[in-house]
Amino acid sequence: MKLSAHYNKASIIVSVSVLLISGVVYYLIINHIARQQLDNDLSEEVEEVVDYVNHYQQLPKPIDFDEDVTTFAKTNATKFSTVFFDTPYNNPKEKKSEAGRAVSALIKVNGQGYIVTIVESREDTEYLIQIISAITLALTAVLLCVLIITNRFVLNGLWRPFYFLLQQVKKFNVADTVKIRTIDSTVDEFKDLSDAVAKMSSRVTTEYQGLKTFTENASHEMMTPLAVITSKLDMLIQDEKLSPEQYAQITDIYSAASRLSRLNQSLLLLVKIDNNLLKDTEKVNLRTVILDKAQQFHEMLHNKHIELDYKLDDLEISASKYLIDVLINNLFSNAIRHNKNAGRIEICLSGNKLCFQNTGDPAPLDQDAIFERFYKGRNSDGTGLGLAIMKNICTLYKFKIGYQFNPGMHCFWVEFD
Amino acid sequence: MKLLLIEDEQSLRETIEKYFSEEGSMCETCADQQTAIQKIAVYNYDCILLDIGLPDGDGFAVLDYVKSAGKNECVLIISARNSLDDKIKGLNLGADDYITKPFHLAELKARLMAIFRRKAFDSNSSLNYNGVSVDLLGRTVTVNDKAMVLTRKEYDMLLYFIANKGKVISKNAIAEHLWGDEMDMLDSFDFIYTHIKNLRKKLMELSGKDFFATIYGVGYKFA
Repeated sequence: MKLSAHYNKASIIVSVSVLLISGVVYYLIINHIARQQLDNDLSEEVEEVVDYVNHYQQLPKPIDFDEDVTTFAKTNATKFSTVFFDTPYNNPKEKKSEAGRAVSALIKVNGQGYIVTIVESREDTEYLIQIISAITLALTAVLLCVLIITNRFVLNGLWRPFYFLLQQVKKFNVADTVKIRTIDSTVDEFKDLSDAVAKMSSRVTTEYQGLKTFTENASHEMMTPLAVITSKLDMLIQDEKLSPEQYAQITDIYSAASRLSRLNQSLLLLVKIDNNLLKDTEKVNLRTVILDKAQQFHEMLHNKHIELDYKLDDLEISASKYLIDVLINNLFSNAIRHNKNAGRIEICLSGNKLCFQNTGDPAPLDQDAIFERFYKGRNSDGTGLGLAIMKNICTLYKFKIGYQFNPGMHCFWVEFD
Repeated sequence: MKLLLIEDEQSLRETIEKYFSEEGSMCETCADQQTAIQKIAVYNYDCILLDIGLPDGDGFAVLDYVKSAGKNECVLIISARNSLDDKIKGLNLGADDYITKPFHLAELKARLMAIFRRKAFDSNSSLNYNGVSVDLLGRTVTVNDKAMVLTRKEYDMLLYFIANKGKVISKNAIAEHLWGDEMDMLDSFDFIYTHIKNLRKKLMELSGKDFFATIYGVGYKFA
């Protein structure tokens, strides 16, 4: 639920309840005043009757009371306090019963006591109250409408800079050089927020760039010492006085150095892909690349007695030839390295989907972890960066890459756009 | 062969110098751009090994100087940066080849010999060693005037060994030369063994001589 909706809800509940309560109070007060007015009128009528009796020493005729209904009842009571009460009023003209107000009082005519009761119609005041209520209701409705409309338009307008900022934050990518634009808002809070977000994003971007530069420089700086190690080893083995044990140790150092060098090169490649430094985009025929690679890996396939089966359609994509080479190379070397002796590899390129399936470990791989950097399978002796590199290449070109396990076969697929 | 090595890393400079001097060819060294330009101005070399990351500026200036002074030394660039841009820049400026650190000395030697041969023997493109004759243009090999049929890998390997004759070459160096660093090292060692066994057999059949010596587990020597 949006903040404006929350605000709307609260403001409507509060204003409706205030209006309802004030309506009730208003009604009660008006009712009270109107009744008092009626009672005053009735008191005057009674005084008129008393005046009339004092003057003429007889009861007035009902005709003298306009619309009021007056009745006289003989009584022997000597004491009777004047009472006001609600009673139905029979309109003599319209012959119907209406709400009325009555007064009963004791008068004396020639020593005979009478209870005089005057009933007056309350229709007029009822009518007045109804009109006042209607006006109040109408006002309430209008007020509600105005509230809702202002909330919708004014609030939405006020929040616009916020949504603009939010959109930018959603699209924000540390690897991009696109900066978050600050917004021009009259609302101080939004201005502060915008400034803070802009500052934070530029700091994050700078630090990320710094980290990448660091990785690149560190990798490059390691190349010269590695070159020293390798060349010293090359010199060392020229000495034919070394013992077999020493040669064995040298072999291990060779392997470690070449592994370190491959690791370094993989890291550098990752940085290059991340920075989109390989911009030699051209049309690449995937089928040709795969067939070339199959030729290159022929020896390895043969050595492990792996059967290669492929069904390839023609597919041309726009990408760096080098990166596509790396991608296909990694797919092949994974499929071979993690295969078993006398296993099989099936390559299928149809539509825009490429699928590499290979036999191997009977258990499926951990889908979520395999594309992480330095994740390695149980028996892997690689750098742990091969799949991460593939994933980054795919991310760069907006290809989709995934893994699924079909009974007995590990399948890596890439969907090209 | 007269060689100038421009490299600022002292231990690397010494090792390369030693590896190349043993041949009987002469290897001079220097550690910065200024000295390099002074030396090139005064002396003539056959080949220049040029590290482009030098303390007093990048090595491209040296390359520029060689080309603008009309010298015809072959230049092999050594770089710590495996960067396509640097490589293209170097080759455009007139370098003959480009090698990325870390490298094996045998690889450096083979590359250097290849560009040196290209320049020095423009017309006569054959390579002879102890009765083994390689026609570089036709990619054919004869041993004692008898033709020897080799696979591509065997031919590459033979050239590599001839360039590094008398030296022990590690299996790692051979593997990287033949397959680059994309292949799994452990697997490729088996292939090297197979290829060398075949090459050795073919050479034995035609010359009656064993050119290869196995140096324990570490590598091979061609002599």
